[in-house]
Amino acid sequence: MIEKAGYLPGLADDAVDWQTLRFGGNDNPLEIAVPVLTDAQMKALAGRVRAASRERLKSLTLAQIIGIIDAAVARLLDRSDPVRRKAEEILPIVTGYDAEMIRLGLTGYLKTFRKSELQKFAAEDFANPLILDDFQPMPKGGFARAFGPDVLAHIWAGNVPGLPVWSLVSGLLVKAGNIGKVPSAEPLFAGWFAQVLSEVAPGIADCFAVVWWKGGDTDREEALLRESDAVLAYGGNESLAAIRDRVPVTTRFLPYGHKVSFGAISRTALDTRKAKDTAHQAAYDVIRYDQQGCYSPHVFFVERGGRVSPGDFAQYLAHELDTFEKKYPRRALSISEARDIAAWRHGEEVRSFAGENRGLIGNPDNAWSVAFVDGDEDLSPSGLNRTIKVVTVDALSDIVPRIAPYKRLLQTVGIAAPPAELYSLSAALGRAGVTRICALGHMTAPEAGWHHDGRFNLLDLVTITEIERSAETAADTYAPYAD
Amino acid sequence: MTQDDIIEMLLAFIAADDERSDIRTQTSEDTFNDVALRLFAYQFENNKPFRRFSIQRGRTPRTARSWRDIPAVPINAFKELTLSCCAPEDAARVFMTSGTTLGGRRGKSYHANLSVYDASMIRGFKEYFMADRDRIDMGILFPTESIMPNSSLAHYLALALAHFGTPDSGYMMQDDGIAFDHLFAALDRAQESGTPYALLGASYSYVPLLDEMHRRGLAFTLPEGSRLFDTGGFKGQSRELGLDEFYDQLAAGFGVPREKCTNMYGMTELSTQFYDRGNATCPSVKSGPHWIRSRVINPLTGEDVPFGETGVLVHCDLAHFNIVSTILTEDAGVETEDGFLLLGRADGAEARGCSMAVEEFLKAARA
Amino acid sequence: MNFTDKVVLVTGASRGIGAAIARAFAAEGASVAVNYLQNAEAAEAVVAACTEAGGDASSFRADVTDSDAVPALVDDVLETFGKIDVLVNNAFRPYKFDPENRRMFWELDWSHYQAQIDGALRSAHGLCKAVLPDMRRRAEGAIVNIATDLVARPTIPYHDYTTAKAALIGFSRNLAVETGPLGIRVNCVAPGLVYPTEGSKDTRESVKDMITAQTPLGRIATPEDITGPVLFLASPWSGFMTGQTLYVDGGLVMS
Repeated sequence: MIEKAGYLPGLADDAVDWQTLRFGGNDNPLEIAVPVLTDAQMKALAGRVRAASRERLKSLTLAQIIGIIDAAVARLLDRSDPVRRKAEEILPIVTGYDAEMIRLGLTGYLKTFRKSELQKFAAEDFANPLILDDFQPMPKGGFARAFGPDVLAHIWAGNVPGLPVWSLVSGLLVKAGNIGKVPSAEPLFAGWFAQVLSEVAPGIADCFAVVWWKGGDTDREEALLRESDAVLAYGGNESLAAIRDRVPVTTRFLPYGHKVSFGAISRTALDTRKAKDTAHQAAYDVIRYDQQGCYSPHVFFVERGGRVSPGDFAQYLAHELDTFEKKYPRRALSISEARDIAAWRHGEEVRSFAGENRGLIGNPDNAWSVAFVDGDEDLSPSGLNRTIKVVTVDALSDIVPRIAPYKRLLQTVGIAAPPAELYSLSAALGRAGVTRICALGHMTAPEAGWHHDGRFNLLDLVTITEIERSAETAADTYAPYAD
Repeated sequence: MTQDDIIEMLLAFIAADDERSDIRTQTSEDTFNDVALRLFAYQFENNKPFRRFSIQRGRTPRTARSWRDIPAVPINAFKELTLSCCAPEDAARVFMTSGTTLGGRRGKSYHANLSVYDASMIRGFKEYFMADRDRIDMGILFPTESIMPNSSLAHYLALALAHFGTPDSGYMMQDDGIAFDHLFAALDRAQESGTPYALLGASYSYVPLLDEMHRRGLAFTLPEGSRLFDTGGFKGQSRELGLDEFYDQLAAGFGVPREKCTNMYGMTELSTQFYDRGNATCPSVKSGPHWIRSRVINPLTGEDVPFGETGVLVHCDLAHFNIVSTILTEDAGVETEDGFLLLGRADGAEARGCSMAVEEFLKAARA
Repeated sequence: MNFTDKVVLVTGASRGIGAAIARAFAAEGASVAVNYLQNAEAAEAVVAACTEAGGDASSFRADVTDSDAVPALVDDVLETFGKIDVLVNNAFRPYKFDPENRRMFWELDWSHYQAQIDGALRSAHGLCKAVLPDMRRRAEGAIVNIATDLVARPTIPYHDYTTAKAALIGFSRNLAVETGPLGIRVNCVAPGLVYPTEGSKDTRESVKDMITAQTPLGRIATPEDITGPVLFLASPWSGFMTGQTLYVDGGLVMS
């Protein structure tokens, strides 16, 4: 079957060049047609989006936009909705992730964009969200209004389903015209979301677009970048650096690079009653989207001194990963992904013979890997796809020096610790570069309004225009009713 | 079995004459297995880290039924562990890798004595490279053993020279690289006299040679029966050449057809080498003599991949008696009817999501 | 059920049910550690039978009721075979099943009970403890303990023997809960009268007839009858079962 990706207002299907991407292998082959626009088409599309968002999107209130997004999300939360059904059927084939994981993941994720949650997005970034609609009085005096970009370009990456929705929604909330480029690894969901938006609010159907180009096609990329006032990009440091070089200096560039996350487990979470559940939560964080998210843990630092030792914890974790394999099987791996895991495993294996206090748990057949290190070890990346290391610490505060060299790479820490320690450790972690602290088991489900990598979802996108007090005061003197 | 027993067994196996027609194919699986499993038992007994490695993999000589059951040691283990059946200080020779990796640690192969290594090299070289000839005028584009005592390639080429070179053969090196004049004179003589000539060196040694020939406007037409030998590839060298480009340049520069340009695939972590039957097309099929067997596996499960699919190469080299017979390389390959295709290093994956992968982390952390 | 590349330790395997179990595993390709106490010749015969059946086997002498000997036994097996995938606790202190001459309750001392408990339970305890580190490291393993259907229904009250086996079942269930989250399963097989074995070779025909009359499947178990369920509980076919007791007695007891 052929599925069309993208969303191109004002462009007829037969006016556009289509390329075919193949997924699914021999069992359930799937072809996806992705659009390749010419420079002229991209320019025209940007013009259309720019004009439409100026005319229509920017004249809506924030509350109205929230209502529209909420309606679109309601459709996608409805499992009987045709687009939702399509997503549940096709995304497992495209991404390889287990169908159950995708179904539950989609629902959980989309709930983050309901009306109540969207209000939180706005409240998180703006003391007075009305600033998006009209000039509002400022604490310093005078007035300010937040204007979103005319054209906001999104360059998405990776295969975690639904990722584009986060920035697309952010762009809509600030009333930007959005043009997003989908990744080849998952080219469909953004276009579906756009389609549903256009159906619930035909009036703004031209205010956004979803395009595609082949990775490395710098011409196509520049065609979009030229038209944009702001650019949001996801990817590894190398690709982000390359994009940044092509973004004009006058265009705002907001990169979201790859990150490393980890867990911290206090001995209080390792008594003979709680230990298994702690292992369960930790395992859940590992298996979600096969560790492909920036928020996925690579290491669990575990405190000694509990009734259950870190070594025992590692074994409980191993079995939890084994049971999760039955519930949400890991997706099929490419030979290079398999090679990465093998290299990581072999490295751990060989070090275990050098007489160090460490070892691998399980056997090579397992669709997961757990390494255990009873000693000092810095943060290090796992082999991904459900490979995890458990490292012992005497106290959770010992984690800080072990992550210190990697400040720029850190993001999420899943913590299982009592309140006093939560706050004191968080202070140290924040200083060390960590931007998000959450409960174990919640690492892969950020809350609405989460400051992704410590940034502001909406604030980063807008330009504040202020009317200084002097203008106010001066204007008064020109009023027809001036005394 | 004692070390002497093992050496005797292996020398006999290497010299075995029953596979006259093709050095490669006809040893029965049973005979190979028998020798392989006895060697496994010897190495399990005497190589302590290997023994621990096998037990960790849940495998002992008791439970191994064929060479495929012998656990394959990843080659990076050669850097971290001392893998030797004899005490390392008793080793007659230690070959080391060139140590270009992180941390600069070099993989080491301890050879109790070189009798088996030499026998393996000599028989393989004769069958694959010398073929119809007993001796040939030979030029070596590589330093001598005394200059590089830990280089397996230096030893290999010294053996080639000693056992298969005529008195008119020799090294073509000087302090700062290739002794061009000396070499070109030898090639001229060969051309004039019509005596076949063989040039042997590391692949990357040919690059400055071809550059110099180009600079001097030289090209040779070596007599029929002449042949070229290269090994090692270009990774990490100043200029990388595509295989086709490389062999085209050799053919043009020396007048030796590509079918007579043999590439040897060897490594410090083994005692036996693989060859091709010329490089008319690239990549060429590699094969080895009857005392080495290869398989292509999924690096994660350790299972053989279906015939014709890409995987990572595992070699079981019975000549590597003092260390471990079976190694897991970092090379991707595909099995063919009569050997395998070498597809280069099995590269790491790009992270699919926004989670950081190892290589990126290392780069970022070092920055 | 394929046990190729699996290592099985069977205690008390030189004869009777233990020997049958060892042979059955070997026939499915396993490497079997045949533990015995005294009868070296019989143990070697079992080893030979295992090899002939298509597996591999080696004999290991050890008194499994001796807490000091057990770790050494397990170490030996690990050195030989590399790992232990399955442990079958079959050994027990020899017992005479004689309905006409059995000791009645008031003729028994605690020492009789203690002897049986040491035989059945203490040995199982020591062996489980010794094999668990290896199984835990591999995050998988199966333990099968041989109990008796007399626990559910003491057709004849062999007080000391059956009490020990009842404790073994309780032990197994608790161990199952502890080790389940580590990927290790613990189950029991409870045979009825098995003939011929050391303990039953002198049992009268009339006794066997009486039991047969109450057995839906109309006969007494042979040692081979017990092996299938043991292999089942050791295989992935029972991968989602733990803490269970399978009664293998032709339906005499239904529990």
